[in-house]
Amino acid sequence: MLAQVEVPTFWSEPYNSPALWTKLVVALLIGLAVLVGLMYAPVRARRPIVAVVTFFSGLYWVMLYAWPIPINRQDNQLPNGPVEAVGFWLKDSNSVIVSFTQILTALLFGLGIYSLLRIHLQRIVKTQRDWGFSVVLLACMSLMVFFGYADWNSRLGERGAMLDNPANWGFVNFGRDFLFEGLLQQMDAAMFSVIAFYILSAAYRAFRVRSVEATILLGTALIVILSLMGAVSGLWDDTIRSAANGNTFILNFQLTTIADWIRNTFQTSSLRGISFGVGIGLLAMGLRIWLSLERTGGSA
Amino acid sequence: MAGEQYLDTGWFGMLVTLLLAVFILVNIRRAKGGKDLFIRRIAGLNAIDEAIGRATEMGRPVLMVPGLSDTVNAIAVQAINIFAYVSRIAARFANPILICCYNAAVYTLAQEVIRDVYQQEGLADRYDQDSVRFVSDRQFAFAAGVSGLILREQTAATFFMGEFYAESLIFAETANSIGSIQVASSTEATQTPFFIAACDYVLIGDEFYAASAYLTRQPVLVGSLIGQDWGKMMIMVLLTLGTIVNSFTLTREVTSEKVDGVFNTIPARKAKLDDSPFNQLIKPSKPKITVERPIDPTKAAPAAGGGN
Repeated sequence: MLAQVEVPTFWSEPYNSPALWTKLVVALLIGLAVLVGLMYAPVRARRPIVAVVTFFSGLYWVMLYAWPIPINRQDNQLPNGPVEAVGFWLKDSNSVIVSFTQILTALLFGLGIYSLLRIHLQRIVKTQRDWGFSVVLLACMSLMVFFGYADWNSRLGERGAMLDNPANWGFVNFGRDFLFEGLLQQMDAAMFSVIAFYILSAAYRAFRVRSVEATILLGTALIVILSLMGAVSGLWDDTIRSAANGNTFILNFQLTTIADWIRNTFQTSSLRGISFGVGIGLLAMGLRIWLSLERTGGSA
Repeated sequence: MAGEQYLDTGWFGMLVTLLLAVFILVNIRRAKGGKDLFIRRIAGLNAIDEAIGRATEMGRPVLMVPGLSDTVNAIAVQAINIFAYVSRIAARFANPILICCYNAAVYTLAQEVIRDVYQQEGLADRYDQDSVRFVSDRQFAFAAGVSGLILREQTAATFFMGEFYAESLIFAETANSIGSIQVASSTEATQTPFFIAACDYVLIGDEFYAASAYLTRQPVLVGSLIGQDWGKMMIMVLLTLGTIVNSFTLTREVTSEKVDGVFNTIPARKAKLDDSPFNQLIKPSKPKITVERPIDPTKAAPAAGGGN
């Protein structure tokens, strides 16, 4: 990974160079030291180790946000002084540090697959309730892995460009296309379209006149819905305009004007209020995690 | 923020962020010092015990979904913190639980936390490894999988907390169709109305982040919550000030405007919002700066327009 970065930076060294090998070995040793430290350290010492690792991992992102970023930097320029040198390093490191997350995610994805396999194989072996669904799931997963990998493999090298034309496709390409585009994408779309019916049933329950609040909600929703129905809003607004005869106060009673007022005055301000709260909450949560003040799963 | 020199221009945003952090840390210190801090009642969180009690009476599982976070972020951690409380109560009543994860990293974290919860309660033998599951990392496959579980297991209580998108209503309506009591919260403002329409109890906005403080009363969390409230008060003051300053500015005429960080004299015209000192503080006009730097002889010159 270190050798793949195109522009030479702190993170990249020429292929097979001693500097590259030194950095690889040092990185490996640090990783092993942290792992061994976590495994063999007394239980009481594990928390500080995790706290230190968390702090330094988080420090990078805090610095990326807070440190002055070099203006109009060209790839062949050297930094002016230590402040810019840190800015250069932070920016160069971004793509590499993001890929650390991807490596970890890939590793953990394996654990997720293991969980799926364990649950469903167990169900099939013990012929528990609905074990047939587990067979379908595992069969689909295996087929998708096989065709997905074979298709990807067939597109490597010079032959890849030829496969942009379906006329050159083989069995695995057709198989992958059928499973992914033909089945999975269509089923995704089907699930998405189901939401339309759920919106209707949820709206029916929510908009019943049960209390003062529900009645206000019903009235507001009705105005907004009707304002979006061209035939209704056009008819109503034309009537209001002709009745107004230049009176600007009466023009306020156009359906589209009322709906715009509801959206701009109530909806936007409410959403912004919620966003402020969520943003501050997120900042507090991030701060607690970064400084290891948060005890995940804290006792009641 | 990328590419900006905040010390010259956007320093105000940095100052507000710093103040928010200071408010939170100061209040955590106050709470740790034994200061009794008040948190208002949150109906959705009071409903948690009721929901688990109902599930216990019916002998059906409690289902939890920690959102569709793409990785372990603060939102997923908060959702799992709330679920740790739910699992603790469920463990005490020997009630089965199901946690459905969209992301493998969140699944790993959830599994560790829930196992710890059972161990802390001295009920490690009641912990079922399969109660925390990775379902799928495709949005609608996940929605279909979780809906299937809700229907097959006939869950008595369902908790949807975290990042939800279009699938929120699929979950909520499926759970509603089997009469399951639902407590939900989405950090996505666009999904909150769907949850409000379909669920029994909803935590709106930052109530989601207040939940663990409210449930566990840990001084760190309570202090942090009070710090957040201070931050909100600061924002309210800024909003009021901004409204007054902007309204006053709009009544005046201006003879200069700021372009690229420099004030230029112009013929008198009616003021716009961009002329307000408050707007210029929040959205500063950036000066055009050219920086000369030494050239690294070992690196090739970039193509035209190749700067960052």
